[in-house]
Amino acid sequence: MNELLLQGLVNGIILGTIYALIGLSLNVIFGVLRVVNFAHGEFIILGAYGAYFAQKLLGLSPFLAMPLIFLAFAAMGYGLYFVLIKRLAKSDDPEHASLLVMFGVAIALGALMLIFFEADSRSLSYTLDPPFFMFGSVIVPTAKLVALGIIVVITAVLAFFLYRTLPGKALRAIIMNRDAVQIVGVNLERMSALTFGLGLGLAGITGVLVALIFPAFSPFIGQDYTLIGFIVIVLGGLGHPVGAVVGGIIFGLTEQTALVYTSGTTATLLGFLLLIGVILVRPTGLFGREALK
Amino acid sequence: MLRIEGLRKNFGGLKALDGLDFEVPPRSILGVLGMNGSGKTTMLNCINGVYIASSGSIQLDGKELTGLKPAQIFDRGVGRTFQVPRVFSRMTLWDNLAVPLLSRSMTRAERDEIRATWLKKVHLFDLRHNYAEELSGGQQKLLELARIMVSRPKLVLLDEPFAGVNPTLSRLLIDVIRDMPGETGCSVVLVSHDLTSIYELSHDIIVMHEGRILARGDAETVQSNPDVVEAYLGA
Amino acid sequence: MENARDSRVRVMVWAGVVAALTLGFAIVPFLTDNLSFMFYMMLWIIMASAFNFVAGLAGYMPFGYVAFYGVGAYATGILYKTLEFPIPLALIGAGLTGATVGLLLAPTLRLRGVYFGIVSLALAMAAKLTISLMPADLTGGSLGLILSSANDPLAAYYAMFVVLLLLLATATWLSMSRTGTALRAIRDDQEAAAVVGVNVVSTRMKAWISAAVFPALVGGVEAWYTNAIDLESSFNLLITAKSIVYAMAGGLGYLVGPILGSGLLYGVDQLIWRQFPTLNLLLLGVIIVLLMLMLPRGIVGAFAQRFSKLRKYIP
Repeated sequence: MNELLLQGLVNGIILGTIYALIGLSLNVIFGVLRVVNFAHGEFIILGAYGAYFAQKLLGLSPFLAMPLIFLAFAAMGYGLYFVLIKRLAKSDDPEHASLLVMFGVAIALGALMLIFFEADSRSLSYTLDPPFFMFGSVIVPTAKLVALGIIVVITAVLAFFLYRTLPGKALRAIIMNRDAVQIVGVNLERMSALTFGLGLGLAGITGVLVALIFPAFSPFIGQDYTLIGFIVIVLGGLGHPVGAVVGGIIFGLTEQTALVYTSGTTATLLGFLLLIGVILVRPTGLFGREALK
Repeated sequence: MLRIEGLRKNFGGLKALDGLDFEVPPRSILGVLGMNGSGKTTMLNCINGVYIASSGSIQLDGKELTGLKPAQIFDRGVGRTFQVPRVFSRMTLWDNLAVPLLSRSMTRAERDEIRATWLKKVHLFDLRHNYAEELSGGQQKLLELARIMVSRPKLVLLDEPFAGVNPTLSRLLIDVIRDMPGETGCSVVLVSHDLTSIYELSHDIIVMHEGRILARGDAETVQSNPDVVEAYLGA
Repeated sequence: MENARDSRVRVMVWAGVVAALTLGFAIVPFLTDNLSFMFYMMLWIIMASAFNFVAGLAGYMPFGYVAFYGVGAYATGILYKTLEFPIPLALIGAGLTGATVGLLLAPTLRLRGVYFGIVSLALAMAAKLTISLMPADLTGGSLGLILSSANDPLAAYYAMFVVLLLLLATATWLSMSRTGTALRAIRDDQEAAAVVGVNVVSTRMKAWISAAVFPALVGGVEAWYTNAIDLESSFNLLITAKSIVYAMAGGLGYLVGPILGSGLLYGVDQLIWRQFPTLNLLLLGVIIVLLMLMLPRGIVGAFAQRFSKLRKYIP
């Protein structure tokens, strides 16, 4: 096999898992709350700044900062649920209303970061030793390998939580049928707030990983991550945890292998065309169900 | 009027309708009884084109309806209501009744008159400038019925019209439905699991069970049919 | 019949609004030096009102709305600069390009809810990337296009005025005709509308194409007014954001909603916060959130809810 293509495939899988993590957290939020988190990318970038300042001000390595950022973001999500999300349930069209509210949050959060962190790109001054591994002719930076490991662990923990623990099962039950769950007596409100916390916590972790493996970040690029996350979840099917993982890896592979042959712009365009193609054939995504209107 | 032969509908491996045959004569009310999941709503969805039947034929006055879209079937004179009322919530009642008349060639006076007539008949005329979302669930069911009737349909499909309706409105609804065939010349397919109202209104009854017709006849025949007794009373 | 009089009053209220706008914007250039303020006021009224055609009347939220604007700007630039069309023809070309893109994207209308919104956003990004991949001697590449030889702000102002008149005419047609009733029914319940005989596909196509043509025209006229076109400003997501916010603040679903919303918020936007662009962005975000939480149906919608007796008079 062509060596460049092999390198592209490896990059595709690694980036694909990051995309999958973004999609996974978006889908957990959407599945339980029917909220499309338009501000997800901004929260990711906020997580990246978290890692940056944890290192700069507290001298913490990104790996130590990660659990702290998760907890801080989860707490923020828990609180934001009561401020923003709870009241939307009563609106004419909760899904669109949530999309718009989170759109507003995205703009406001982006502007806040611009005010407090300024427009310059930042990067984490953190290097691992050795900086990269060679597998035959394929080069894999250590940071990416570590990120891959972390994502696999997080996904496994999340899968265990969703499919093997009681609160996780309750969560999936909510995804499948909100009304029935209410009758059974699950505390929907508390579960919803925890879910939003979980979603934002994961966004914070994603941010740390983004800071770790990409050369730089700035307040402007949140949108890009939101868009990637959206493509991934629509590709896989809204609200479907497995769909997000598959969608993320497909999108990562498409983008990175295309990058071997063409420019970055064309590769991104191909990613969009993939989404549009899939959605026109299967309007609810690869794993979506008809019931999701 | 309506003639259904060998109607089947499969969802994957599930046989929701497993060979239905029946007729609805002109100016009559056919009651359809059955438990949840017996295929009643699926049957209505096939007749008015929301679902495409897997096989079989649905004829209105000798003309085939299968394969047409819901809007085309409406133009042929078939109207329906939904189990959970589906009114146009952010439009006034008056505008709600305008929608089925959009494709009809009528003068403005004719349109206004028939709308007023039906709103009065279901006791909603005084609320005609309110948004439909401001009505109670029961009133929304009445509005839905009026919305169908203004288009002077030949066949009306009613899906659980009494579910969630308080006794007073339910009484009104029964009276309106009873008079419909006589006043407008339409036929009615009335789906419900409310035995009393079905017995009271229907000229003929079919009982559905697992996608098939378990029994048919007038109220007395159906009530004394051993299969029906078993299915309903679990004896 | 009592009802006929009600709808006559409503038509008269709308006629009054149309007359006031027409007269106001027609004579403004003679009264003020600040042409730019009124030019952009018209621009946002048109953008928000055309957004209302799909969002308020048909119930679709195209988050990639800016695509039509950007495509219109580039169509004007390319037709004028590269193919040497006169400006009026270039603008007509922009409108037609908008309609064509609308037709191309029409299959996405069968998606519902957030699926539609997200795919629309992806399509806007795809349109931007496609233009960036076109040969640089056509689009000006990363530098963009400069139309300085066409500079004539007053003429551009009146071009925008013509677009405004076209918009008001289209709004009148879409909302007061049978098409308007059918659209509102589709917005409230698509399936139920089909069941009572509404041709869902062709009806929403009318709203969709109308909503595609106007941003394309506006993008073209704005390019003429500023003489500059570049990818970042022509496809800036904030254009979608502002269209949505202005339309929602006034009240989706009412003709006067987006007009009122644009007038108020754009005015506030310009007069108070022009000096602080970042703070302005923050406020835009906060206003969206507050609007959705406090006034989800906008000013006109809240008024109609509060004074339900007067509702039948609001166009």
